[in-house]
Amino acid sequence: MAPPQSLPKSSPRELSPVSLFKRRTDVMQRSRKQTAQDRRLRMFGLRLLLLVVLVGIWQIASIGAPAFILPSPARVFSAWRNLVTTPVFWSDFGITFYRISVGFLIAAAVGGVLGIVLGASRTLGDFFEPVLVVINTVSSSIWAIFALIWFGLSNWSTIFVVFMTAMPLILTNVWQGTRTVNPEFIELAKTFRMPRSMVLFKIYVPTILPLFFAGARLAFGFGARVSIVAETLGASSGIGYRLRQAADLVQTDQVFAWTLTLVALMIALESIVLKPLERRLFAWRERQSA
Amino acid sequence: MSVVRLESVGKSFMRRDGEQLEVLRNIDLDVPSRSIVALVGASGCGKSTLLNIIAGLVTPDQGAVFLNDVRSKDFKDWRSMTYMFQEDRLFPWRTTAQNVGLGLEAAGVSRSERRDRVMAVLELVGLEKFADAFPHELSGGMRSRAALGRSLVTDPTILLMDEPFSKLDPSIRSQMHDEVLRITGLKAMTVIFVTHDVEEAVVLADKIVVLHPRPGRVREKRDIALAYPRNPLSPEVAEQVRLLRLAL
Repeated sequence: MAPPQSLPKSSPRELSPVSLFKRRTDVMQRSRKQTAQDRRLRMFGLRLLLLVVLVGIWQIASIGAPAFILPSPARVFSAWRNLVTTPVFWSDFGITFYRISVGFLIAAAVGGVLGIVLGASRTLGDFFEPVLVVINTVSSSIWAIFALIWFGLSNWSTIFVVFMTAMPLILTNVWQGTRTVNPEFIELAKTFRMPRSMVLFKIYVPTILPLFFAGARLAFGFGARVSIVAETLGASSGIGYRLRQAADLVQTDQVFAWTLTLVALMIALESIVLKPLERRLFAWRERQSA
Repeated sequence: MSVVRLESVGKSFMRRDGEQLEVLRNIDLDVPSRSIVALVGASGCGKSTLLNIIAGLVTPDQGAVFLNDVRSKDFKDWRSMTYMFQEDRLFPWRTTAQNVGLGLEAAGVSRSERRDRVMAVLELVGLEKFADAFPHELSGGMRSRAALGRSLVTDPTILLMDEPFSKLDPSIRSQMHDEVLRITGLKAMTVIFVTHDVEEAVVLADKIVVLHPRPGRVREKRDIALAYPRNPLSPEVAEQVRLLRLAL
């Protein structure tokens, strides 16, 4: 016996939740926008205060110290202004940025793929786990020495060190990510007879992406830091090389100026590239937590 | 013609301590086209396993399963069957429309056709205003509708449901019952569902299979010959519920 064809399409009860939902989200969005603005303003104030305090301490400390040990903020600022106008500044800046980026991109590609492969196969995962531990325990300075032996004074020395530092971080995160994949979703895909490759891209990748992103962010920061170490050892250009040169010539204000440049670069990348990208990619998550 | 036929199906699982656990024994089942069959029983009677066997997710140790009179292992048209789980299993990173379209993506349906069919189904389940909402923005009832929509978008002829509404509160649950009856009538589907809710079984099903546990066996099959829609408060329905409770 088949059920009748003419039941009401949707009961009137169903209409009220719709309008209720609309109204609720409107109100919530307005108040949320307000508090978000307040929070941002407060944050900005705190950051500014912190900056003033730090520069103040620096200024006071520099009064009693000779300039080659701790130059004053004003002196560093003028050294930085001179530095920026020299033609080699941008080429050194660019080459360092290039090395970090290439090393990071290769690390992201290799770490992402390997993480998924190791996560997908238990045997492979168990087999390679010790390798990961070894790579993680070897210090970046040791990689820099190896890089110098293997690649000499070239871009590849620095790229190699960035890669060896960043890749295990990304790999580990992606690997962990494969373990958070919901088996219920896989079963659902099975009932739709979804092909394996589609399961990978439609379930595994979206689940792993937040963890991959967290790992990549960490890896980029580490990579940027070790790239300087690598450049002081195995390069004849770049920020690390200039830092070492300035230190050898006891141009402490130059050392400070380069350091500030690096810090500014990382802050800019974080707030201009990474934060907005993350917000865009994980819009579904942000609204969930709010 | 029977849409689903089981012939003396049996299934055992290996327990963690190495002992064999017999879950189902000698199950015979015949589901005619366009019928609504409820599998009822206490927990541990293997109802969900039985449903998974029909869905081809679990292979039986004994007996045979026939789908549209084709042996289950030779059956090709799996996409004419969909499975609605106890949990809604909506992907949190997908909007309602994207979640509903999942089965069409698996079947390789083109983007434009997908969009049209998803919109049609969203209208059918009353979610057209929430096409772009993420699952966490939906209420429990709406999430359940979205999961139902996802099971309907591929135009299945067989719909399997494993206690799909057990987590909803009673008024929403009865709304979902109305929806299921309306849509199955509209789409000429065969429905097999598992429930431990006796009233749900009587309100929805025209055939109820009562299972007994350890190992799961068919205790009895009864036909419910009441006209739809069935009011759970009417004496006829209440009487059937009472009889079914006695059989359990």
